[in-house]
Amino acid sequence: MSDKNLDLHLKVWKQDGPKAEGHFIDYEAKSVSTDMSFLEMLDVVNEDLISTGKEPIEFDHDCREGICGTCSLVINGEPHGPQKATTTCQLHMRTFDNGDTIYIEPFRAKAFPVIKDLVVDRSAFDRIIQSGGYISVATGNAPDAHAVPVEKAKSDDAFMSAACIGCGACVAACKNASASLFTAAKISHLAAFPQGQPERTLRAQRMVAQMDEEQFGACTNTGACSAACPKEISLENIARMNREYLKSNI
Amino acid sequence: MSLDSKCPTGPIEDRWEKHKFDMKLVNPANKRKFNIIVVGTGLAGGSAAATLAELGYNVKSFCIQDSPRRAHSIAAQGGINAAKNYPNDGDSVYRLFYDTVKGGDFRSRESNVYRLAQVSNNIIDQCVAQGVPFAREYGGLLTNRSFGGAQVSRTFYARGQTGQQLLIGAYSAMMRQVDLGKIKLFPRREMLDLVTVDGKARGITVRNLVTGEIESHAADAVLLCTGGYGNLYYLSTNAMNSNATAAWRCHKKGAYFANPCYTQIHPTCIPVSGDYQSKLTLMSESLRNDGRVWVPKDKDDKRAPNDIPDEERDYYLERVYPSFGNLAPRDVSSRQAKYRVDEGKGVGATGVAVYLDFRDAIKRVGKEAISAKYGNLFQMYQKITDENPYEVPMKIYPAVHYTMGGLWVDYNLQSTVPGLHVLGEANFSDHGANRLGASALMQGLADGYFVIPYTLGHYLGSHKLEKVSVDDEAFKTSKEDCVQKLQSLLDINGSTTVDEFHRRLGKIMWEYCGMSRNKEGLEKALKEIPALREEFYKDVKVTGQANFKNAELEKAGRVADFLELGELFAKDALTREESCGGHFRSEFQTEDGEATRDDKDFCFASAWEHKGGDWELHKEELDFEYVKLTTRSYK
Amino acid sequence: MFDEKLTILMTNQAQSNIKLMCIGKLSCIIEYELKENKMNRKYLASTIGRKQLIGVAGLGLSLFILTHMLGNLLLFLGDGGEAYNRYAHALTSNKLIYVAEAGLLFIFCAHIVFATYTTFKNRQARPVKYKKVAKGEKKTSWAHKTMMHQGIIILIFVVFHLITFKYGTFYSVSYNGETMRDLYNLVVEVFQSPYYVAFYVFTVLLLGLHVGHGLASSIKTLGFNDPKYNLKIERLGQAYAFLVTAGFAAQPIYIYIFK
Repeated sequence: MSDKNLDLHLKVWKQDGPKAEGHFIDYEAKSVSTDMSFLEMLDVVNEDLISTGKEPIEFDHDCREGICGTCSLVINGEPHGPQKATTTCQLHMRTFDNGDTIYIEPFRAKAFPVIKDLVVDRSAFDRIIQSGGYISVATGNAPDAHAVPVEKAKSDDAFMSAACIGCGACVAACKNASASLFTAAKISHLAAFPQGQPERTLRAQRMVAQMDEEQFGACTNTGACSAACPKEISLENIARMNREYLKSNI
Repeated sequence: MSLDSKCPTGPIEDRWEKHKFDMKLVNPANKRKFNIIVVGTGLAGGSAAATLAELGYNVKSFCIQDSPRRAHSIAAQGGINAAKNYPNDGDSVYRLFYDTVKGGDFRSRESNVYRLAQVSNNIIDQCVAQGVPFAREYGGLLTNRSFGGAQVSRTFYARGQTGQQLLIGAYSAMMRQVDLGKIKLFPRREMLDLVTVDGKARGITVRNLVTGEIESHAADAVLLCTGGYGNLYYLSTNAMNSNATAAWRCHKKGAYFANPCYTQIHPTCIPVSGDYQSKLTLMSESLRNDGRVWVPKDKDDKRAPNDIPDEERDYYLERVYPSFGNLAPRDVSSRQAKYRVDEGKGVGATGVAVYLDFRDAIKRVGKEAISAKYGNLFQMYQKITDENPYEVPMKIYPAVHYTMGGLWVDYNLQSTVPGLHVLGEANFSDHGANRLGASALMQGLADGYFVIPYTLGHYLGSHKLEKVSVDDEAFKTSKEDCVQKLQSLLDINGSTTVDEFHRRLGKIMWEYCGMSRNKEGLEKALKEIPALREEFYKDVKVTGQANFKNAELEKAGRVADFLELGELFAKDALTREESCGGHFRSEFQTEDGEATRDDKDFCFASAWEHKGGDWELHKEELDFEYVKLTTRSYK
Repeated sequence: MFDEKLTILMTNQAQSNIKLMCIGKLSCIIEYELKENKMNRKYLASTIGRKQLIGVAGLGLSLFILTHMLGNLLLFLGDGGEAYNRYAHALTSNKLIYVAEAGLLFIFCAHIVFATYTTFKNRQARPVKYKKVAKGEKKTSWAHKTMMHQGIIILIFVVFHLITFKYGTFYSVSYNGETMRDLYNLVVEVFQSPYYVAFYVFTVLLLGLHVGHGLASSIKTLGFNDPKYNLKIERLGQAYAFLVTAGFAAQPIYIYIFK
């Protein structure tokens, strides 16, 4: 482990509430160890702020091992920061250089209103899942797990789509704030399984309708979502969703 | 109050069936008249909420996260056990039951464990039907692996993300019910109090974490599915927001807290790198299949690991446990690591780590083979530590991972407060003093999908529940108490941050209530924790206000509760004068350092009743009719 | 329309109970029809439906520019523009040209209207912009970001193009007694201006960029994305765009230099 220390200039978005005006505030982060994670760096800044009686920076975080999808942040214009396939909580300070200025902004989208500072409301994602991101099987109704074999390749594909952690980086990265990658990942995941077939048409219809209703933008295949995705969900999912949706309308 | 586990009697195979028949039912038309509160949306809470809503109950679901999908069950990596015996290698419900009781070091309830093993198979069926992408063979059928030293392959898995996939399954089932209007979601709410009316749990008081508003919610029963209390140690593999507040406030309202001292410590975590460390990251135990654990023989040896020749390395697990070697059980290998560090042989900048070396494995099977097996783990390790484990040995150290203790529940998962049911890691029932790998997911889902739907109906069917409203006195009082408590935390306006207190508490816990405990240390902890608590109430600094989003205030409330739970923990550990499972008292060990259980005096579950500033111990005697009490040995 | 039906129904049926029954039935039908209609309406109202329409229209326009470019190649024959003029005459004197032009105009307008609307909605989806723009692997390419700007310039060009040529000076020429418009003459005249040539070449290059990106993107929007073929499709789209661009750009340059 390196024992380098960094001095950094932070420009952090502060916003008191959903309706309040937001603006950038400057903070200095002194002697930040390169072994710290990005969020630990913010922890230290916050502890300093609190000890001097100032309000800390609010940000969302929970598992800090890259799986819960709670942490967000757009760091220097990049959702989850500069590293590929990494969530903010797994981003380490060794990615930065001494004296760097770092802009920290919330995920920005009309469908993700800011709650406070860097915390945004991502409940739109829940509503998209609610509209059809499931297989209707009440507890106890399931046949034996081996009753329906699933082709390994299909199952593996489904896993790749199901790996989505619902963090919203795709929306944050997209120039149109589109939720296509998120929605498509769920549609693809369930469409790959025999169990998902009966609701396939309805699912595509309802989930796409909900996605639009939440006022996310349209997909223009830039691929920025996939590049920002900490789980590297592929753009193929979106094409699959487009296909499913087209089919569901015929 | 006597502790009645309400376990059915008769042959163990028939107990659950018999009990299901004996229990009262709620007729379908009446189910919609009942309101149920479910706190927590992990595997236990999510599956319970979905299933109860499917049955027709009106469910209100609460979680502290911004979405139910983010509960900490999501982080479970390894897998989920079930007695399917698909690999045809001799597994059965009875064997899963037997292994779990034995693994729990004979401190669990046989009836509960048997039921757990019985319903394990239904869980897999349910999850597959939901679209959980379990690993499959080319023939299209599910594949299994052996896990945590089990002698049969009974673990189902979805790469290293089994918890995530199972949780998404439960979450999607839940969201379907939200769409149907049977579940009402309350995300970003923290439960602050349990409201009892006529001695029964009839509602909760929560804080809306966005607006700071204190809200009351009434219901006919409350289900607590709020996970474990590993964050008592400050550093653990738990998520940052995992806490014991909901459970602790229930404890203070009359729910007994059982076996708080049973903690599982996982041997293969990435070590602490500095004071700023906020949490620890677990790495799959499977690494020990190929890695060799060692420290330098000479404690002043500061050479780079690769410069230390074999004869100057102490492969201590292989030395002490020749037959199990590096695969010695979790608690044993964790303790051995601690002994090495205590001897001053720890490695790395902090001196609190041991090496896990893949050099020999890479030499034996090649880098490709190792990468195929552990590629993603090596990658994760490198991401965090910036070291390449293919070239230099990994550094690992144990970390708190799971808490077997929790609120005491009977066979119906009901606590000592009628109507308050506790599910998943938040209860104490199924794992005894130690939990087997891949069993936590199984228990959470068993409780939620297949146990509570029956036992809750029994409770509702056999009690007359008067109508209550949030305007009743009990709700108002609870609300006022909560407001006052929050305000009093803000009013202290001291000079030390909440995190600082939490860190200090964690240090006491880790030092005296960690992998190895003794009387002297525990007594010290029992002095230091109350002192720290006193200081907390004098000097904590909580910024902001109560009626806004305020992360510091949230943390302050949780740490305040940990400061009380820590004391009970130490008290429980001090009382239990034996070593068993996740509780190792250095006074009670054999000459070769093996844990010595005392079945004569301590074959009971300790259930603590909160009495003002103190606790009263109630004992639930444990009978072992089917699995004979034996001592384990890994020599 | 449904209101009408209801009114008729209400006046015709005197007895209220029958009326109620009928209204009940009718509302069922209406609801059903609405639902069915909504499905269809929903398709074009949905982001995906709109994008697919833009894509299909774009593919159609791409085919058109290819035929346009191929026809223009007759300029190079060195026959004083006879073949070119005869080709133009054959096209414009055919009665079907009106149908074709109407169709083309419709596709063109659909492409523009839906693209504009979508872009407008997309902008609305992010009311507050980021202060910093991503620059590493997570950035969005320049070509992607400026599709709308490219489109606007191309639209302006098309308008000028029509004014200049379709509605430009009418020169006549006779071949074997057949009188027709001497479009060739006009083309040669216009391309004497270096400014016009530069403008033409620039826009045609932009068109190439727009088509090259649009083709590959449309295929994805229509539901085809397979890593095995993606690169090939992208290359094919670029090759197509290059072909069209090169064909178009060569004409003014050739005329400017040699005529």
